[in-house]
Amino acid sequence: MELRNIISIDELNKEQILKIIESTIYFKEVLERDLKKVPALRGKTVVNLFYEPSTRTRTSFEIAAKRLSADVLNFAPSTSSLKKGETELDTIKTILAMKADLAVIRHKDSGFVKYISDNINIPVINGGDGRHSHPTQALLDLFTIYEHFKSMDKIEIAIVGDMLNSRVARSDILLFKQMGFSVFTVCPSMLLPEDMSYFGTENFNSIDDVIERCDVIYMLRMQFERQNRKLYPSVREYNRFFSLDISRFKKMKKGSILMHPGPVNRGIEIDGRILDMEEENMERIKISEQVSNGVAVRMSLLHYLLSQQ
Amino acid sequence: MKIMNTINGKKEKQNNLFIINGSIIDAKARNIYKSDIIIERGLIKRIEKDIKADEVDKNIYKVIDAGNLIICPGFFDMHVHLRDPGFEDEEDIKSGINSAIRGGITSLACMPNTNPVIDMPFLVRYLKMNSYLNDYNIFPVAAITRNLEGENITEFGLLKEAGAAAFSDDGRGIQNSKLMYEIMKYAAQMDVLLILHEEDYTFSENGVVHEGYFSAAKGLEGISNLSEDIMIARDLILAKKTGARIHLTHLSSAAAIDYVRMAKNDNVNVTCDVTPEHFFFNDECIKDFNTNFKVKPPIRSENDRRSIIEGIKDGTVDAIASDHAPHIEAEKNISFNEAAFGSIGLETLFKASISKLHIEEKISLERIIELISSAPSKIMNAGENTVKTGQIANISIVDVNSIEKYTKEMIISKSRNSAFININLCGEVIYTIVNGCLRFINKNKSQGEDFS
Repeated sequence: MELRNIISIDELNKEQILKIIESTIYFKEVLERDLKKVPALRGKTVVNLFYEPSTRTRTSFEIAAKRLSADVLNFAPSTSSLKKGETELDTIKTILAMKADLAVIRHKDSGFVKYISDNINIPVINGGDGRHSHPTQALLDLFTIYEHFKSMDKIEIAIVGDMLNSRVARSDILLFKQMGFSVFTVCPSMLLPEDMSYFGTENFNSIDDVIERCDVIYMLRMQFERQNRKLYPSVREYNRFFSLDISRFKKMKKGSILMHPGPVNRGIEIDGRILDMEEENMERIKISEQVSNGVAVRMSLLHYLLSQQ
Repeated sequence: MKIMNTINGKKEKQNNLFIINGSIIDAKARNIYKSDIIIERGLIKRIEKDIKADEVDKNIYKVIDAGNLIICPGFFDMHVHLRDPGFEDEEDIKSGINSAIRGGITSLACMPNTNPVIDMPFLVRYLKMNSYLNDYNIFPVAAITRNLEGENITEFGLLKEAGAAAFSDDGRGIQNSKLMYEIMKYAAQMDVLLILHEEDYTFSENGVVHEGYFSAAKGLEGISNLSEDIMIARDLILAKKTGARIHLTHLSSAAAIDYVRMAKNDNVNVTCDVTPEHFFFNDECIKDFNTNFKVKPPIRSENDRRSIIEGIKDGTVDAIASDHAPHIEAEKNISFNEAAFGSIGLETLFKASISKLHIEEKISLERIIELISSAPSKIMNAGENTVKTGQIANISIVDVNSIEKYTKEMIISKSRNSAFININLCGEVIYTIVNGCLRFINKNKSQGEDFS
């Protein structure tokens, strides 16, 4: 089946996912060459439409496009004519009239990327929409796990942190479930959606309940400032039940890995000293590896969508 | 360093006891049986009929003759204001404990509306440390919201680890329904008990008494039953939704009892208590503007009082608690409007319950003792509170048949704002044994046993 857009994980089937993972292996190899560039998308133009501030994801897409020899146009809404009476769709159509071939869109509202993609006729990649979806993050996470374990069998993963506000968690859970992983959440009651049956995950009340059994410990960014009414009591209570400290890090299962979508809040979800040990613990701490893999996965996706045409 | 236990002020070691001729209440099985008890180093060693006196060395054991007395599991008062830290002019930990043991109470839960409010782990530890230093069973209740402001949830997990036995914003109602929902979800996650003071401020704003016949007659501003009923209905809905364990304290209205009864039939995880004031008196008590009857929730109508007694009889009410609320003279000896809410109750918890419920309402002694001992202990997760071998001895020995006018001079508490002053009360506490130590002997009523 032809894949036109990457909007959310539920639209991908297993075969497509495996195809993306497979080509990511190739593009990762490209990135390790001396000359990190292939002419695959020469003459194509990728436009980055980021309505929400982002450095990491936007840069990652930009590098990915450039490694494939595409031209990149970065569009930031604050410098646009958004406030001059144009609708968001008008603005986008104006930019597309300049003959862009693919749009990467990030927006604070869930569903915005789908709305735009329904109204324009070029492929769209979701760079993150509201609390809904962040499919490229999920795919790079899956690739990182696959690369480490060399398999996708019997993986147990615990996702720790704020499920309510996290698009990363939603996309990860759906993708991992589709690949047959056992996925657990570890989340305080006030940050857990009322009904998680769509995701089919079991929730635990403390990271101590999962730290010794899981193959992957996936820590989410805990954004105290994003919380509605600041419901969670305190950082130290969070540290006690949900954070990764040195002693918990040492309890992690043999051969297991630590992941985080970045940027880490040092001292909140992860003890800063663990991050400082990353270089000596490359086999366990995969946070930088996730960033590297992000470029390869995005190259793979850009290539997948644009080479079909 | 451990402070020596004292008996009526004198330093004595009293943890080897031989109790003879008494009748033991098994509150769980709801029966009374005659038996002797040997307590050795604080533990209940033997419970047997007719232990021979020559089996027991009188140089080591104190003999207590409990003939005609009833031996009860130690009373557990799950709603007490010790006023410590911050309001030590009204009560402090030591005076509160002395008042409690006078009332046969061997364990108590103290409320967090002190100064500072008990909303941090180190403050819970302060109370636990004093529990240990005084060799008394204090179960600290921590605040639900920071500084009882009804805005930010406290650290349930860390407070529980520090020793908080339950959580309450007692004295304040939590007005925001969404916040209460989040509180209950978190309480369920952290597996903690919420003790809820139910009050909708829009109905209680300037009220000082029950809104009804006597508030109208005396021109005092009323507090409608709705203030309690609405919040109880809300919280029962939320408890059903979240699965949280809630305990509704000092219920005062007929509808509140009905709602709890319905909720229990609907398997909601709810328990409740009432205070002696609310089943002993009705709102007529305020007709002379006696400020000792100014309590919150207010003492309500005769119809409400009858419903509370029905609730006690049919099991809807789980426990009786004093809501011991000491206030200095200046806060009570003042106009009714200006006076503080609350009355003391540690020393009258047993007597008032016996007088009204046993003598007048003919409720069995076993059931009443259950309401003030094993039931609250179970609600507070403090283990099985019964007189049984192998357990640390927490025992109250009482005389059910005595009758005496309660007077101000009898009060041990630092404060004297009792609603029962000058009322004839039945029943008397004769001995109180806390953690295996004899801590109170009623000198006037004890029966000349050997204390050589």
